[in-house]
Amino acid sequence: MLGLIDEGSRRGAAYVEVRYQADSGKAIMMRNGRVLSLSSFGGEGVGIRILLDGGIGFSSTNSLNKSSLREALERALSAARVAGRLKRRKTGMSDERVGKASYEALQKRRIDDLSVDLLVERARDAEKNARDALKEARLSVFAFSLSSHVQEKLLLTSDGAKIQSRIPRLYASINFVLEDSGRTLQRWREFGGSGGAELLDEWKIEEEMREEASNLEVVMLRGISPPNEKLDLVLGQEIVGLAMHESSGHPMEADRILGREAAQAGESFVKPERIGEKIGSALATVIDDPTIPGSMGFYLYDDEGIPARAKHLYREGVIWEPLMNREMAFMVGRKSNGSARAMNYASEPLVRMSNTYLEPGTMSFEELIEDIYFGLYVKSYMEWNIDDIRWNQRYVGLESYIIRNGEINEPVRNPVIEITTGDFYGKLVGKDKNLKFFPGTCGKGEPHQGIPVWFGGPNVRLRNVSVRALGD
Amino acid sequence: MSALEIASKLLEAVRTSWQDAASMVIERERTLVKIWNGEAAVVQKWKTVDSYLRLGLDGRLVVLELSTSDPGKIADEAGSIWRIARRLEPSEIYSPLPQPTVQRMVGKAGDQGVKEFMEDPSPLVEEALDEVAREGGERASGTLSLELYRRGLATTAGFEGEEERTLLAFHLRAFAGEGSGHWSLGSTRLDRDGIREVGRRAGEIAIMSRKPADFSPGKFDVVLSPMVMGNLMNILALMSSALATMMGYSFLSKYKVGDAVGSQSFSLYDRPRDQELPGGALFDDEGVETVDKAIFEGGKLLTLLHNTATASRNGGKSTGNAGWVMPRAWNLDVLPGDVKEEEMAEILRNGIIIMNNWYTRLQNYVEGQFSTVSRDGALLVKDGEIVGNLGRVRLSTSLPRMLSSIEQLSRERSNILWWEVEIPTRSPFALIRGVNLTRPEV
Repeated sequence: MLGLIDEGSRRGAAYVEVRYQADSGKAIMMRNGRVLSLSSFGGEGVGIRILLDGGIGFSSTNSLNKSSLREALERALSAARVAGRLKRRKTGMSDERVGKASYEALQKRRIDDLSVDLLVERARDAEKNARDALKEARLSVFAFSLSSHVQEKLLLTSDGAKIQSRIPRLYASINFVLEDSGRTLQRWREFGGSGGAELLDEWKIEEEMREEASNLEVVMLRGISPPNEKLDLVLGQEIVGLAMHESSGHPMEADRILGREAAQAGESFVKPERIGEKIGSALATVIDDPTIPGSMGFYLYDDEGIPARAKHLYREGVIWEPLMNREMAFMVGRKSNGSARAMNYASEPLVRMSNTYLEPGTMSFEELIEDIYFGLYVKSYMEWNIDDIRWNQRYVGLESYIIRNGEINEPVRNPVIEITTGDFYGKLVGKDKNLKFFPGTCGKGEPHQGIPVWFGGPNVRLRNVSVRALGD
Repeated sequence: MSALEIASKLLEAVRTSWQDAASMVIERERTLVKIWNGEAAVVQKWKTVDSYLRLGLDGRLVVLELSTSDPGKIADEAGSIWRIARRLEPSEIYSPLPQPTVQRMVGKAGDQGVKEFMEDPSPLVEEALDEVAREGGERASGTLSLELYRRGLATTAGFEGEEERTLLAFHLRAFAGEGSGHWSLGSTRLDRDGIREVGRRAGEIAIMSRKPADFSPGKFDVVLSPMVMGNLMNILALMSSALATMMGYSFLSKYKVGDAVGSQSFSLYDRPRDQELPGGALFDDEGVETVDKAIFEGGKLLTLLHNTATASRNGGKSTGNAGWVMPRAWNLDVLPGDVKEEEMAEILRNGIIIMNNWYTRLQNYVEGQFSTVSRDGALLVKDGEIVGNLGRVRLSTSLPRMLSSIEQLSRERSNILWWEVEIPTRSPFALIRGVNLTRPEV
């Protein structure tokens, strides 16, 4: 790999990045307590990125012999030349202090030691708990999948980075459907983190499924229509986490702000001149931090060799620090904050989130709702979306309740919250201390790259928000 | 070594340990230019070989997906997973690999024009950007992708197949003031007129959508462009997979074959044999010969998409849509209507033309309830004339309701392939009555 860097530099490249990446994993898919399939996935290869004559070229190969690697280098050089020719305004990489390090995510118990028998047993227990929790409704589908994934990387750059890492991850998803007298309710849950087999115990999937099935049955059978008015709204950690990812993390990606993703994931309501502008209340502090142990988005150095650190995206209501890689930092005359990630060896590193969350407050949940005379608590969601500049967003509540006289009261079915990002953070008037994270796979780029992330937050209170019922 | 030769070698490496096996190898050479503000953000070139194995062991189903062409590595992985697989119970979606009706299939449909521009596609990009500028667009972003694709399949049931195809995927988003327009093209060949058309359309919509207009949320008659229809048809195709109905991911689990789901105007075909759309195949992943088929015709559900296992669960035959685990569509084709595209606004009279969307999310797959957000031109039409752009609005309805409310379809159709339309889709504009449109009350 060092030879490729030397050769690329000798041929005139201003920057050469060579990344070896090996991914391997196994997954099991089950339906209604029975195994449907077992799969194994993975691969290894090398991705080469070149900056030459102001253009960036990328190439990869999964044939690791000398001639294939040389051929990949030639393709990357040729791609950079074409890119440079198409560019009027030349690009570059910010000048950075890069790292030399080797690290791995800690496994308390080896992922490899998870037996398929144990996985099947745990999935069956989760399904049985959900089924047993139901009093009237039928659990028509309980689909469960679980995958283990180990990602190993070796990154070398022409300016001296040498980063070796090994990150094991475990991820589970569940889709269940409740049915009764023509009514249906669907729940999609994910569990995920970096680490070892111990994660399976920490998630307590069996207990979560019992509680979810029981609560959601009540929502489906007894849920009333949501109020159609403006009221104080309490959002659960799951929705808060999603909102942080969608309306804070994405619009604060520098490549969106500068328009690089305009035709795919879109642009951002944040323009360079808006950094430093107030967007929300003093409670609106949103952080992206890759260094959280055990997280899905865990890394200590990014895929350009820059040390990872926590970034305040919004700080006390002010638009603060965009996520940057070296190319975006070069364009705006700043330094990278270590936010470049690539999905696999065949993917270019892009500006990505890691673990994005709303900083928790100091209140208890009870204190958050105690002075709400009539409001709505939305604990979880099914549907959501947001526009391409990350301003106009929607969440459809799943487990939701009326708050009456400071207490959680009758269940509510399908409340719809459509709100702008400005209103979301501007109306933030309370948050409790119960920080919780949720896993996800964040999509971006072309070819499409799915990156493991966490998002989270405490329970929050928003003042005077419009709520509606789901249409037809 | 050809893709089929590699696939055959892989099959030999594993066949003794497994009851049946299919081995597929896909070789790709691909060049992609990502365009940013009218310039190349990056040019990427890939040359990869990916190997896939479907293995059966006493009714258990195992799938390997490895980014390698090394038989040794595949055999090692297959051996490791054999030890795990033998502890599993039989799967309800396992079926022995089918005996081939045609034992050997070879196809070569690659277009030399696509191959020629893989080294330097910049002239194609510049032609499209010129069209954007000619229409008045101020800047444009997008992606041009050119690909040479070889697929080889060998099965222990005695099938051997190999095909070579080329693929062109292009989309461009143009901006003009506050307006933006987006269009795309998916093709098997170098379609320079089509590439220029993408630039022209994107620029034209951007100009059309510069003037803002206002509205109050409510029910509207809408015209959905082929970009929007492409996205929704992709979701409908995923829901048409027989496995999706088993797994709680389809509202079609509530319907039987023959039931009326959509209006009589609506017909949707899966066309693996289409010569223009780039998702085609001569044979599916089990070695079953592919055929064009109606999923919906005249609004009626005619078939779900099956592999051998899902078909046998339903007492039928594979539709040639394997997917070893998940049956899937190859190319989608919505039949046209008889209205000229330029007459759609006039027929709509009062309503909204939505030119592009994204972020379609299901609230409940079993009911088909969803919402999706417009992103380029939600054009307000009054008395048959476009009067302005509503910006980013949300269309909120259910798939069965939407399909049953399709009233008119345009005569002209476009071949769409982009970020939100991964299965190539040929679609007309569609006029749909009474759809909820919302946005936040500020």
